[in-house]
Amino acid sequence: MKNILTVARRECGAYFGTPIAWIFIALQIAILSFFFFLYSPFFIIESADMRVWFGLTPFTMMVFAPAVTMRLWSEELRTGSTEVLLSLPLPVKDLVIGKWLASVIVLLASVVCSLGIPATISWMSASPVDWGPIMGGYIGTVLAGMMFLALGCWVSALSQNQVVSLLVGVTAGIVLVLALSPDFAAFLTSTSEPLARTVEALGVQSHFRSIERGVLAISDVVYFLSGSCLFLALTVFQVELKKQ
Amino acid sequence: MDQSHPGGVSVTAPPSTLEKVVIEADCLSRSFGPTRAAENVSFKVKRGEILGFLGPNGAGKSTTLRMITGLLAPDEGTAKICGIDIASDPIAAKLKFGYLPESVPLYDEMEVIDYLRFVGTARGLVGSDLAKRIERISHRLGLKAMLRRRCGTLSKGFRQRVGLAQALIHDPEVVILDEPTNGLDPRQIIEVRDLIRELAEECAVIFSTHILQEIAAICSRIIVIHSGRLIADGTPEELAGEFREGWQVVVEGSGVDPQRCGELQLAEGIPGSPGETVHHWLGDSIPDLDHLQKMLEQSGSPLIQVGVGRESLEQVYLRLTGGEELQK
Repeated sequence: MKNILTVARRECGAYFGTPIAWIFIALQIAILSFFFFLYSPFFIIESADMRVWFGLTPFTMMVFAPAVTMRLWSEELRTGSTEVLLSLPLPVKDLVIGKWLASVIVLLASVVCSLGIPATISWMSASPVDWGPIMGGYIGTVLAGMMFLALGCWVSALSQNQVVSLLVGVTAGIVLVLALSPDFAAFLTSTSEPLARTVEALGVQSHFRSIERGVLAISDVVYFLSGSCLFLALTVFQVELKKQ
Repeated sequence: MDQSHPGGVSVTAPPSTLEKVVIEADCLSRSFGPTRAAENVSFKVKRGEILGFLGPNGAGKSTTLRMITGLLAPDEGTAKICGIDIASDPIAAKLKFGYLPESVPLYDEMEVIDYLRFVGTARGLVGSDLAKRIERISHRLGLKAMLRRRCGTLSKGFRQRVGLAQALIHDPEVVILDEPTNGLDPRQIIEVRDLIRELAEECAVIFSTHILQEIAAICSRIIVIHSGRLIADGTPEELAGEFREGWQVVVEGSGVDPQRCGELQLAEGIPGSPGETVHHWLGDSIPDLDHLQKMLEQSGSPLIQVGVGRESLEQVYLRLTGGEELQK
């Protein structure tokens, strides 16, 4: 754990010591706030929920997560600093988890900064706020974010070009969010029901929506955590492959 | 060639520590596609030795060093640091050495002190011990005024020093430096050489270079690598002695009558253009210089200088890396 924290601390320094993390947090909150206040019925019926906010979260995540993680390995590979990093007495899995943890901390900072939104709703709304779905939405955001960030880590380890990492990461995110969506699964139902069920089970949206409604099912938590573990394992494999 | 023969002579370390072998490379081979980057490279380094890894660019020096440091898996062979196999126990082996890659990659956004803290912590140093090591190494390398500077703003010379500091912060038993003087000015080169000499009092130093003068200046032992193969291993004196071909005549002049060449038996060594200097190998017998000079003068060539001497280390190196296979 000490090794992981050492690596995470360095990466956090790189994130928060430069504008990267702050730009990511500000942009994500600005975009979500814009659509939230534009499309939410909040100002019409004073609905005290954040369904629109969390409904948009997987879509912003599929773009912003690879933007955060694209530098994690690509930059090291480009500058050659992996030579020093991999000569340190640290297991590769600790390096991978440490870097990923730093990106998760950026995500958590973004979540904390966005807490002003439910606070504002609570303050302005005449009706009582139902905190269950909001809590669920935030838990879903963190869980989905962890998986997207792990995916981004893996993609970053594939190329030393950050732009390539970003584009491949966004494409992979689009597959997880849009291609494997409940709408597409419904379209496939007439062709093959098992295939439709598989598509829905693999996609992010079906799992995120139930958490967003305040239903924290074990299967959804397992989906996001196992997805994170899978992509982190692929990253370890990819970094080890550099020695071959 | 007996590749297990260490051949090294330490002038600094106490005799009791000399016997400890700290690097063992055994039949390391590595290919990249059809290119054989390293082939059957074997050698040992003892504590107190400064081993120069010499070879032209692309000879396989960095590939060999990367296999020793565990950054590259060999196709065949093993590498041990202080008796620990880098492949089977990489973490324990990596605690024993410090490594400076050729390009000196640093994290540009980090301050020097934060970078050294990160590397020190990753190497298991904590608290006051870490602070003392940073203080000591920054003093030793003249980095104290630079500790609060971002790595990205440092000059090439200071970047090199920070790279050296990260490699030395944990007092390793083995220091592996890949072209450590690359891109430095003459003053900085001298400083790095002095540092390497100092380091050899406490540990083994192995460093690669393609600059012969560097090796001759500081190394107690030289390994020459060419086309991925180890072609020579010994002290500078041993190399100059064991591998040179014998006596040579050095002729500087403006050409001789080709018809006389056969008589002079110097056909390959006759100067062809004014002012040209040629070296002609005469084997192990010492030539009669007076007789030679007389014969050349009789040939009608206005000679400037004729001399006889032994092959220099530089000439040995050039010949060894010029494609000739050494059969010794």
